[in-house]
Amino acid sequence: MTEGRDAPAETAEESTTGEPESSKESEPDVRPSVVVLGADDAAASSRRLRLGRWTWLVLAASIVAVVAAYLSWSNADDDPALARAELRDLAIIEGTAAVETMNSMDYRDVEAGLEAWRSVTTGVLRDQLTAIAADERQLLADQGKIATGRVVEAALTELTDRTATMIAAVEVTVADKDPAQEPTVKRNRYSADLVLVDGDWKLENLGQVPVATS
Amino acid sequence: MTATTRSGSRAQLAHALALVVAIALIAVAVVLGLRAQSLRDDPALANRAQLDEAAARGVTTEVSRGLAQVFSYDWSQPGITKAAADQLLSGQAREEYDTLFASLQERAPDQKLTLSTQVQVAGVQRLTETKATLLVFLDQSSSRAEDEESSVSAAQLRVEAERKGRSWVITALNPL
Repeated sequence: MTEGRDAPAETAEESTTGEPESSKESEPDVRPSVVVLGADDAAASSRRLRLGRWTWLVLAASIVAVVAAYLSWSNADDDPALARAELRDLAIIEGTAAVETMNSMDYRDVEAGLEAWRSVTTGVLRDQLTAIAADERQLLADQGKIATGRVVEAALTELTDRTATMIAAVEVTVADKDPAQEPTVKRNRYSADLVLVDGDWKLENLGQVPVATS
Repeated sequence: MTATTRSGSRAQLAHALALVVAIALIAVAVVLGLRAQSLRDDPALANRAQLDEAAARGVTTEVSRGLAQVFSYDWSQPGITKAAADQLLSGQAREEYDTLFASLQERAPDQKLTLSTQVQVAGVQRLTETKATLLVFLDQSSSRAEDEESSVSAAQLRVEAERKGRSWVITALNPL
């Protein structure tokens, strides 16, 4: 069907494009046309063959280049080391933020402080924070302190696909509601257990690293 | 004549098409190649901490042992500590340590002072072929023979180390 339709289309094309050329070129010499045609054909076919060879070479080379580049890219993209490096860096960033949050509390808004604590924790620790009783909340408010935690340095000591252990040197500045009192600075060292929950690192456990008593 | 020009223009068309395809393919290859390179050059990969576990363990062990040696001191045998410092410290770490050591030397014999240092925990922050940065939590217990008094204190240090040959040398000690 398609061939049948193509054939007349080609002949039609031939007649429309061929007519002006043939009327122009076939007039001067009719006799040697056979020889010229034959020679031209040979030249054309050999030229086409040469062009073809180069074209194929260029095409083949570019296909090889694309395949090689794709393999190189997919290899780099699938690099488990890169995924792990990114996981590590995220653990440090989010772990640091979580430890700072857990060392911060403003007596003027204890509820917001507790909500922040809950938002960076998970598991039993989170349950414990949720269970903080009203009298303890009142105590935090009555103390009249503003604590601000800052992680001075942090490092991971362990990292798996979904857990990490981070150690952190923390500086906590505690300001009193009485502006006459100088803020105090405490230095602590912490070990934090982190768990990956829905793509975010959360604190599962946070404890000071005790001094060994020998 | 008509056939040759037509086949000639067709060949030219095919040639041009092939060229366009080739250029497009090469452009894709270049883009993929650049992407791959930028992935490989990711700065996250330059830090080998947590990636090269063997190297991290190696530097952690060496630095921990080194710190225990240079921060342990027996008034009757200061030479041991001094020798350890000669071997393990260099640069800024060495200069600061020498000041500390000089003051220790002054009062230690009178007090019969003994210091014993242990690394509680250490983590590698940054690690390359030749350099490492560690966070180290230390416990130092000191005892004076005269009054039987002994105390333990905690210290947090950021330690920088450089590879010298096959071993690591501590180049900076920053108390936190």
